[in-house]
Amino acid sequence: MDISYIGLLLAMLLLVFPLMIFSQLKLKLSKQLLISFGRMIGQLALIGLWLQFLLDQEDWRLTLLWVAVMLVNAIMTLRGRLRFQRRILVPVLFAALGTASLVVMPWILFMVVRPDPLFSAKFVIPIYGMVLGNSMNSCALALERFESGLSDNWKAYYTRLSLGATLWEAALPPFRKAMQASLLPQLLTIASMGVVSLPGMMTGQILGGSSAIVAIKYQMMVMAAIFSAVTLADFVAIRLYLVRRFNRYYLPIQELK
Amino acid sequence: MTDLLSIRISRLFYEKKHLISDIDLGVHSGERILIVGATGSGKSSLLNALNLMNLSYHGEIRFEGKALTDYPPHILRSRIVMVMQEPWLGEGTVQEVLDEALGYHAIKKRELNGRERKVSELLHAFELSESYLGQKADQLSGGEKQRIALIRALQLNPEILLLDEITSALDQKTSGIISDCIFTNFPGTVIAISHDPLWQDRWQRSWTIAGGTLTDNREVK
Repeated sequence: MDISYIGLLLAMLLLVFPLMIFSQLKLKLSKQLLISFGRMIGQLALIGLWLQFLLDQEDWRLTLLWVAVMLVNAIMTLRGRLRFQRRILVPVLFAALGTASLVVMPWILFMVVRPDPLFSAKFVIPIYGMVLGNSMNSCALALERFESGLSDNWKAYYTRLSLGATLWEAALPPFRKAMQASLLPQLLTIASMGVVSLPGMMTGQILGGSSAIVAIKYQMMVMAAIFSAVTLADFVAIRLYLVRRFNRYYLPIQELK
Repeated sequence: MTDLLSIRISRLFYEKKHLISDIDLGVHSGERILIVGATGSGKSSLLNALNLMNLSYHGEIRFEGKALTDYPPHILRSRIVMVMQEPWLGEGTVQEVLDEALGYHAIKKRELNGRERKVSELLHAFELSESYLGQKADQLSGGEKQRIALIRALQLNPEILLLDEITSALDQKTSGIISDCIFTNFPGTVIAISHDPLWQDRWQRSWTIAGGTLTDNREVK
């Protein structure tokens, strides 16, 4: 069931209610609302046209090129968001997100979905978008937690070193905490899925005309792919960050400002 | 007799600040050495250089004839153990605090026969009862924490113990217990920074740092 452009306009009219409430409360969000929705409409229109073009072409080279653009974009977004040790972050993020992508995506494509053609834009781009988006957010959280776990408690780190700990042994407690902070909320979301909320992908597929059974199978597959990718990305990111954050005597390398 | 530790440093720094020049010292096994000097004179920077925690110096330090930097850092630090001014013990029970280091790769390689008996002897020597083992480490007083930190270090049988003002926040009585205990229970080498007059009277060798130079005093007491 398509939405007509008139219909879409009517949907946008729903924003009258927030605008009225903002005005009643003299809340200065109206301008931001118009900017945000304006940007969303512009960006989605462009990406929609581009995706439609990719889907029409069905050229695996274009699909892979777009996958690479998505990856670079994710890394640059993350780099802008993380406010510490920027000098060493790009290669770390590249390896982390790259590893997660290279393990999970071929698994899904070669073993699970096996679309024809294999690099069909219709499968690769939406699934990779979900895998990458989640890995990116999780990596940011895990790295932030790890860095703050270290810098909030250097004394603990130095005490372990002074008793004979290796770099790995001294950094393991904040490493564990960072993984926990990043992964536990996701596991809780997974546990509540279907009861509390219908995931976006499933909703989309059902609206798009797929059977609910097909939609839940995709959803299960995507959750396994996302969780596996997220864990891999967090682990590789912190592991590599650790190696570049410390020198060969396990002492922290000062951040160049 | 060859030196256990030989320290030849032409210039010692704290970060980029030049603190001490021309240090040339040998340390024999079993010696007890006190480092004295004003705040900021470089005592801690020197002590930290001895277990690879400070590498801001020109020169070379050798342990058993081999340059410190040639040892894997964790192996070296498991043999030259440092106890700091305000010890960090973590959140677990005292038993867990004492056990943590036993899982380290460097410690596993060492023979620690009779470790539990040693811990109970040390508790007794430091005037702590065995019931402390079940207590939460973060609920102990400053003096109790410092004694547990020392037991944690001593149970590992280090060859050299580095002590950085470990009694500066403690009362005279506790400081005395700790000093006695280290003297009678630890056969190895001790290099300590302390302002405590009680300690200064009984250490046979001292390194006094003043005006950027270090003076080595040996007295037979």
